[in-house]
Parts: sequence; C-alpha cells; structure tokens
Amino acid sequence: MADTSTARGASRSSRPAFRTAGRARPGAAQGVSQRDAKGWFRLFTWPAVLLYPVGFLGPSLYGVVISFAKWSGPGAPLTWVGWRNYVRVFRDDTVRQAFVNTALVVLVGGAAVFALAFLAMAVLRDMRGRAFVRAAVYLPSIISMIAVGTSLGFLLNPDGVVNRLLGLLGLEALQQTWLDPQHIFGCIVVGVVWMGSGFYIVLLMTAVDAIPKHLYEEAQLTGLTRMQQFRWITLPLSRDMIAIAAVLWTANSLRTFDIVIGFVGTAGTPSVNARTYAVQQWLSAGHTTGGGAPELGYASAMATLLTVLTVALVVLVRRLGRSDRLEIS
Amino acid sequence: MTAKAQLRTVRRFFGDLAVPGTVKALLWAVAGFNVLLLAWTFLSSVRTSRALWTSPLGVDGLDLGGYARAWHAADFAGMLLNTVLVVGVSLLGILLVATPAAYMLARSSRRSAGPTLTYFAAGLALPVQAVLIPYQTLASSVSQFMVDWVTGWWDDRISLVVVDVAMSLPFTVFVLSGYFRSLPAELEEAAALDGAGPVRTFWTVMVPVARPGLTTVTVLNAIGLWNEFLLVSVMVHDPAKFTLPAALNQLSSTMQYTSDWGGLFAGVTILVAPMVALFFWCGRRIMDGMTLGATK
Repeated sequence: MADTSTARGASRSSRPAFRTAGRARPGAAQGVSQRDAKGWFRLFTWPAVLLYPVGFLGPSLYGVVISFAKWSGPGAPLTWVGWRNYVRVFRDDTVRQAFVNTALVVLVGGAAVFALAFLAMAVLRDMRGRAFVRAAVYLPSIISMIAVGTSLGFLLNPDGVVNRLLGLLGLEALQQTWLDPQHIFGCIVVGVVWMGSGFYIVLLMTAVDAIPKHLYEEAQLTGLTRMQQFRWITLPLSRDMIAIAAVLWTANSLRTFDIVIGFVGTAGTPSVNARTYAVQQWLSAGHTTGGGAPELGYASAMATLLTVLTVALVVLVRRLGRSDRLEIS
Repeated sequence: MTAKAQLRTVRRFFGDLAVPGTVKALLWAVAGFNVLLLAWTFLSSVRTSRALWTSPLGVDGLDLGGYARAWHAADFAGMLLNTVLVVGVSLLGILLVATPAAYMLARSSRRSAGPTLTYFAAGLALPVQAVLIPYQTLASSVSQFMVDWVTGWWDDRISLVVVDVAMSLPFTVFVLSGYFRSLPAELEEAAALDGAGPVRTFWTVMVPVARPGLTTVTVLNAIGLWNEFLLVSVMVHDPAKFTLPAALNQLSSTMQYTSDWGGLFAGVTILVAPMVALFFWCGRRIMDGMTLGATK
C-alpha cells in the first residue's frame, strides 16, 4: 500500500530533476526556501506523528511489558513472572473454550457471511429495488451492537416474541430457552452474521459495479445463465476485493465483543459458553460482576497473543488471496 | 427433445430462475426484517412495560412514560450530553490533528512522507485489545496523578477523548491523504502564484476543496465513536460520565429487578435514532466511505 503511495507521490512531481536536486515541495513551494519547507512539513505533521505513538503505539508496547508481570493495578504490588502468563493462557480451560468459540465465529460465521455475500453478488447487480435492499441490509453495521443485543435479548426471552411466534405457527417443538448456556452461542453467531453481512455485501458490490456491463450482455447472448455469469465473470473479476474482504473479516471477527455483552446484558457476566476471546480478556481485566482481583498481566498476555494471531492470520489470508491480476480486454 | 437440450432447460431453470429468485427473496426478507425490527424497537419505546410484555407485537396508545423514566431516572439526558460532548470534542481533535498531517503526507515529496504514511497504516492492524489494559491502568494513574499533584480534579472523559483521537488517527490520516492525493496539483500552483504561503494554501484553498472527504471521515468517525463501548467500560469509572452505549448496558443489567421494558426501549431509541437519522441523511456517503476506507 505504502509503496504505491510513494510511487504515486513521486510520479506526480512532473520534474524528476527537481526532486533529486532539492527536497522542496513540487509546484507550490517555489517561493519558500528549503529550510522553510522542512519547517512547514514538521509543523503540519508532527501533532499527529507525536500523538499517535504516545496515545496508541506506546500503550500497546506497555501492554506487552505488563504481560510479563503479575499485577492487579496501580497501587498494587507488581511481580515479574517471565513467560508464566503465556504458559497459563494455553493451559486455561476457560480461555480454550473462549478461543474455540471465537474460531467458530471466524470460520462458521465467515462461511455464512461470504455465502450470503456471494449470492447477493449474483443477483443484486441489476435487481429491482437494489438501492433500498443495499441500504437496508447495511443498516445494522451503523447501529450499536449493545442496542441490537438488548433488543434481540428481549425477543429471545423464554416468553418472548420468537417463542410466541413459533407457538402461533404450531411449532412448539422448536421453542427454546434461547438465552440458556447451550443455545446462546448459536444465537450470537447468527447475530454476528446478520449484523456483519451487510457491510461485506456492500463492499463486494463495489467490485461488482466496477465490472463493465457489456461482459454480462455478451454472456447473456452466449446463453450463460445468471449463476454461470456469476461463476465465470463476477467471481474472477472481483477476486482482489474478495481477498480484501477476507482479511477484514478475519481481523474484525477475531475481536467479536460488543454483541456478546449486548446479548447477556441482563444476565451480568456471560456464561462460559457465550464468551469470545475478547470477552474473556475483558473479564480477566476485572470486569466481572462476581468480583475477583483484576489480572492485568494475564489479560495483557491474552491481548499480545491476539495481536500476534491477528497479524499472522491476516498475512496468511493475504497470501492465499494473492493472484495474478486479471486484465479486462 | 435431446438429452442435451433437456439438460440445458434444467440448467436454465435453476441458473436463471430458481436460485436467483430464492436469493432475491432472501435479500428482501433480510432487508424487511431489519426495517421491521427498527420500527418495532421505536414503537416499543412508546408503550407501557405491561403492554409490551403481554403483547410484544401489538400497537396501542402512546405512552411516553418510558422516555420520562429513561430520561430522568436512568439519566439518559446526562448520558446523551456526555456522548455528544465526547464525540464532538474527539471529532474536532481528530480533524485538527489529522487533516494537516494527511495533507502534507499526500502532497509533499519529502523522502520521509512515504514511510510516515506506512507508520500510520501499521496502526490499522492493531486490535483494540492490545491497548485495553494499558488504557485502563493509565487512565486511572493519570486521574490519580492529576488529583494528587496538579489540578486537584480530573475527568475520565478527557482521557477518553485523547485516546479516541489517537486511535482514530491511522484510519483518518490514511483516508484523507488518499483524498488529498486525488486533488489536482494546479490548485497549489495557482495559490503559490498568488503568493499564498503553505498555511494559507492549506486553509483557504485545500481544506474547502477537500470538504467532501472531510465530511466522510467525520461521519464515519462519528458513527464509530458514538457506538464505542469497550473503551468507555474500561476507562470511565463514574457512571454519571458514561456515554450512551455504556449507559444502556447498565440499564439493561437492572432489567431483572425492574422489568421496565418500556424504559429500556426508550433508552435503545435514544442511542439508535441519531445514527439512523444520520444514515437517512447521508447513507450513500457512509457506505461509499466505509468501503473506500476498507480498500485503502
């Protein structure tokens, strides 16, 4: 990404000699001396360049440091424990359950989101009312997951709307205590898919919209069906965007948090079955209703592992998605 | 009819009618469900808890008691003010810090511009979990320090705003620099010919021209900050200083004792309605901006 930006920045200055000779800004700054240009550059960029490490990068490194300690917060004694927090993460059954849940969100939820998005790509291109459908499926992405979880929690109550509708339809056998530990995680995955799919549909549709219309017209004349057009035109020509979407999904779904809290808001601390990795980390930092001392070192170790896993998976997904760019003739 | 022709007819039926038809129906169903759920949430906020409980899908008289209770008893009035304040000040900070940086990084041919942009982009990959514990401890340390040594008071919302600005920088700088790069170089050349210095060029020429891009990042950041829950939950300790998502979460935790569902849905509506209004006002821009930000 950055390579292209510098290349573009360089090619924009029309006089290469100008660039190698001096470091002045092209075009605009003829009247300004080089030292001044440097000063202006600093004045404009430094607030951001300084605030960003102080407010974001620095704290994240501080988190890595804490992960080697046993600490319950400012004022409490701090003991260095080496790698012990990391070893504990791998031995902790609760963390393992939370991790398995997160993996299910990433994989099962991801399969569902992309299946939905692919199907939408096949028909949403020239469907009647497509602008409305796009906006309506996108709507959940801008709404607080806490609010959505709260509303759905009411619908899924034992005496709630969902069970009553099932009763009205004569499907008493399907009535469930949805928010019980054995069902709640399924509800969460469905919720994540429902809330997430809109964004990915809209994202992938921007790639579909960029495909020249005449390709579809020719395919129509050749006698390809809609699904074949999707298979042989839409899919190959939106590969790059699908790769980007996969990277985004991986990075975002690994952090699934708000929707779980929204769902179980009325029940206090989420049951072990409902926890994702991010929720478990939050709970370790002392945010339980049951009390218990915050384990900041342990929670930091979990965070560091999440960062490493996110970066590793993003690199992996990106590599898998890489392909020779298809050129449209 | 030959076997081949038969196969083609079957394929036509599924590939042109059955599958696309089912998918269209599914998409309409999801779209309809979303709109209905939203309408139902808004409707539920003006019904009594009893009516809501006995017939959740019914429509009856207008009861604003839920709003009165959410507004006063649960202090959603104060929480709304907190949210507007935190989001507003954060947005101002983000724009003030990110816009000049994005402009310089996009327009300068200095050798450090490219690497600096990469340095900002690195923050996009960092999950918020990586800074959660540091923010939690730093916020309480800063608060303690200021109370004991400097000012005698501190407001966790100030820490929250600083963190909000810092965390929004990677996305904002990246998207804005892309936008500035797309503007024609002639603008600056003309400004330079007229004798405008860098600050004047930036402020009176580039910022007005870049307004669509600035609006987009403002709206996108506003949505993210408005709905932000995790940071508030670890950094703000006084419930009176919560923003709306944290307030709603707290209100919903009391439901098992109060069962004030009318009040709860009033709270949901106060949290959700401004974002829905924003989406009605510039939904196209939000969708375009989000996908643009994602593909950078």
